[in-house]
Amino acid sequence: MACTRTLARLATRRTVVRPAVFSRGFASVTDTHARDPLSKVGEKIVPDAERKPIPESKTSTVQEPDPSKDAKTKTFHIYRWNPDEPSSKPQMQTYTLDLNKTGPMMLDALIRIKNEVDPTLTFRRSCREGICGSCAMNIDGVNTLACLCRIPTDTAKESRIYPLPHMYVVKDLVPDMTLFYKQYRSVKPYLQRSTAAPDGREFRQSKEDRKKLDGLYECILCACCSTSCPSYWWNQEEYLGPAVLLQSYRWIADSRDEKKAERQDALNNSMSLYRCHTILNCSRTCPKGLNPALAIAEIKKSMAFT
Amino acid sequence: MASIMRPGVLRQACTKPAASQRMLSTFTSSARNRPLGQQLRPAFQRASIPQSTRIAAFHATQRNQLLPALPQKVVGTTNDPTPVPDPDYAHGSYHWSFERIISAGLVPLTIAPFAAGSLNPVTDSILCALLVVHSHIGFESSIIDYFPKSRVPLVRASLMWALRISTVAVGLALYSFETNDVGVTEAVLRLWHA
Amino acid sequence: MARLSGLQKDVLSLYRQCLRAVKLKPNDTQSHFRDFARSEFHKHRDVGKKDFGTIEYLLRRGRNQLESYSDSGIRDIRR
Repeated sequence: MACTRTLARLATRRTVVRPAVFSRGFASVTDTHARDPLSKVGEKIVPDAERKPIPESKTSTVQEPDPSKDAKTKTFHIYRWNPDEPSSKPQMQTYTLDLNKTGPMMLDALIRIKNEVDPTLTFRRSCREGICGSCAMNIDGVNTLACLCRIPTDTAKESRIYPLPHMYVVKDLVPDMTLFYKQYRSVKPYLQRSTAAPDGREFRQSKEDRKKLDGLYECILCACCSTSCPSYWWNQEEYLGPAVLLQSYRWIADSRDEKKAERQDALNNSMSLYRCHTILNCSRTCPKGLNPALAIAEIKKSMAFT
Repeated sequence: MASIMRPGVLRQACTKPAASQRMLSTFTSSARNRPLGQQLRPAFQRASIPQSTRIAAFHATQRNQLLPALPQKVVGTTNDPTPVPDPDYAHGSYHWSFERIISAGLVPLTIAPFAAGSLNPVTDSILCALLVVHSHIGFESSIIDYFPKSRVPLVRASLMWALRISTVAVGLALYSFETNDVGVTEAVLRLWHA
Repeated sequence: MARLSGLQKDVLSLYRQCLRAVKLKPNDTQSHFRDFARSEFHKHRDVGKKDFGTIEYLLRRGRNQLESYSDSGIRDIRR
């Protein structure tokens, strides 16, 4: 079934989308375009021609509403897709903003675009200070929180904003996080205890035990790390992904939790945990500076030789 | 590997004989101080191709997504957890520990014969066995990564069997190499000095 | 009848699920729900047969809608 669909796609693409021999690029580093940021190159080689967004050169540019004389005009290319016209292709919309009138962060730029230029632009945002994890998106090729990402002041460079990669898009920059949250739910992210506390009051923890949770409890589940992980891209249904595994380790490492063995058994199969090949994209991209790869390694270590 | 996966380059060379002849003429007539990449490119192509399609960054192949994303499948309702698979130690933690032991064991085994300067058939055969197992585990995990069982069950199964058969074949070949010929370490030594 | 592709089967099964979910609603509003489900499918009648991305998206949205509307708290639906 999936096979026939794939074949059909390949067939249609061969005949329709590839017009000429010249559509192929030529390997050369002398072209100025070859020095573009990686994200821009990446867009040109996006694999699926059907889903490939219409480039900004073919869409209209929305200008800064009232440009002043000494404007520091920066160009933003933003991924747009409107679900109300489901058969339309996604497109890259260009906006220009005067940085002097815009706040320092990417989220400020997005909010300004939405308020003053184009109210149809859709994105998730809430706290605007890196606590809620709503505004995770792919900015200039890096998954990060828009509210923690400074706008590069170099106005010659254009910024490109995409939704989180390899997620189903709901609209514009809003990805569908259903599977991510369902996976989070599957690791039972709550304290599991059957015995009461010895003194009948709280479940206490020593300072050392509490220290083990530093670097774990700060995770805000923005899904930046999971969506940057190639293993998660290929095996989303079965592999849990760095964010969820970090959360799982947060409960495995908790001294008050009594279901450590069950939690480990839930991960003990070839897919859930061991699809991690220490690619370390997760630690590199984490906007909160956490280290999911270390947490995964700790889980693997705690389960090894047992 | 990359060149095998780029039949397009070949095809282009075949269908455009004029272009390849032209390449030489451009080379002779053009200014010498231009970078090699531009000199090698036929002149008419340089002129006629829009700048945007010339960005290449070495991705000259047509990209096809072999396993495009399927429509989203939500098991149960949105608020149910994803199903947790049954624990499978043989493919989980035991497998991982085994893999690590093998990988760590390969390091001293690779260095030892050259450091000691002695050729012991026992260490040699252990090295061979571990190499075979190590590469088997590596290929197996790539197959698991790129050929999900739910999407392509037949391809997955056939690739796994191909891997098993080739592992056994390599094992047998190494065995005969060890018993009838000089052995791996000695072969490397001779190649080194050759 | 021609053999259906996997995607066509998915669409039909979603339609059947919708009709089944209608049966669980109170008797007097069942027709509203049925009309709603039918109109949702009719709206996108003219989507191309090979337009996989669109059909997949509509399936995704349809499943989400089915799940939220089949909540027993929703007793009636009007346009």
